[in-house]
Amino acid sequence: MNRKWAYGLAGVAVLAVAGFMIFQALSTSLVYFILPNEHAADPAQYDGRRIRLGGIVTPGTIAFDERELQLTFLVTDGLVAYPVRHSGAPPELFKESTGVVVEGRFDDGTFVSDNVLVKHTEVYVAEGDHIDLELLRESLK
Amino acid sequence: MTDAAARLRRPLWLRIYLGITLLLFLAAAAFGLVFSPRDVTQGDLIRIMYAHVSVAWIAFVAVGLTAVFGALYLWRGKRRDDVLAVASGEMGLFFASLTIIGGMTYSRPTLNTFWTWDAKLTLTAIMVALMVGYFIVRGLIDDPVRRGRVSAVVAIVAAASLPFNYLAAEWFRTLHPAKSVALDGSGVTMDATMLAVLLFNTVVAGLVYLGFMIDRVRLGRVEAALEEERSLAATRPAPVGKEVVRV
Repeated sequence: MNRKWAYGLAGVAVLAVAGFMIFQALSTSLVYFILPNEHAADPAQYDGRRIRLGGIVTPGTIAFDERELQLTFLVTDGLVAYPVRHSGAPPELFKESTGVVVEGRFDDGTFVSDNVLVKHTEVYVAEGDHIDLELLRESLK
Repeated sequence: MTDAAARLRRPLWLRIYLGITLLLFLAAAAFGLVFSPRDVTQGDLIRIMYAHVSVAWIAFVAVGLTAVFGALYLWRGKRRDDVLAVASGEMGLFFASLTIIGGMTYSRPTLNTFWTWDAKLTLTAIMVALMVGYFIVRGLIDDPVRRGRVSAVVAIVAAASLPFNYLAAEWFRTLHPAKSVALDGSGVTMDATMLAVLLFNTVVAGLVYLGFMIDRVRLGRVEAALEEERSLAATRPAPVGKEVVRV
C-alpha cells in the first residue's frame, strides 16, 4: 500500500509541475493576438513582422470599395486606434463594434491585412426581443 | 463462442433505452433547428452551436472519465475498470472528433476560418492526438495488465489538458468565444430559450454517451473473458493421451 501511495503522490506532483509548465508556456508564447496599445508601446519589435492584431471595429469607420474589393476600417482597444486595409470582401458577421483579429503586417502606419477573423462575443440574444419593442415604440408615435 | 454471442445479445431494457434515446435525439435536433429563436448577430448559424457545444461538453466528460477509470485501474488493478476506461475512451475520441468537425462547420461562417492555432483549438487538437495515442498504445501491448496501466497513464495526461481547455478563453487570448454558461452559476449570457435548447441537447448527448458506454462495456467484458480464457488455454499443459493439433 505504501508503494501505491508513493506512486500516486509522485504522479500528482508530476502532473502539477507539467500543468504549471503548460500554463506558463501557453500564457507567454501563445499570445494569439496583440492589442493596438501593445503595438504602440513598442512598434520596433513588430516591425515588418507578420502579426495578428486584435480589437474592436470603431463605429462609423468602415468603408468598402466594391469595385476594388478594398475594405478599410479602424481597429481599436479603447486606447490606440490603427487603420486597417484589407483586400477582399468583409466576412459575414463583420460589422461595427464587433471584435476582430486581423492577420498581416504594418506598412507605413496602416495595417495591411490578408485575413479578417471575427471574434464574436459569448453573448447570445434572441432575434426580435428588443427589435419588437423598437417597432412597437415606432408604431405608437 | 455461442456463449459469447448470447452474452452480446442486447437485453430488452437496453433496446428500449436506445430507442428512447434516438427519439430524444430527434427531438433535440428539432429544438435546435426549428424551435430555437434566431440570434441577433448570427441569425440561423446559432443552430450549429447546439450540436457543437453539447457534443464538446460530453467529449470533455468522456475523456475525463477515461482518466478516472484508468486511475482506478492503476489503483486497484481490477480488469473491469480497464473495460470501463477503454469504453469511455472510444466515446471520448468519437465525441472529440465530432467537436472538431462541428467546430469547423460553425466557425467558417461565423469566425471566418475553419481552423486557427489559438489556445483552445490547440489544446483540443492535442487532446484528440493523445486519445489516438491511447488506442495506438493499447494496440501495441499484448499483456492485458501492462496495456491497461500504460494506456491509463496516457488517458490521465490527456485529461490533464481539460481544465486548461475549459478555461482557455478566459485565461488566454483566443479566437474561440468564451463560455456563456458558468458552472458556478455566476452568469449566463444566453437567451433563456437558447439555454434551454442547449441544455436539452447536452442531456441527450449525455444519454447517447451512456447508451454507447453500456453497449461497449458489455462487449468489453466478453472480450476480456475470452482473452483470459485463451491465455489460460495457452498455459494449460496438453491433455494426456490426446494428440494436440496446432493450427
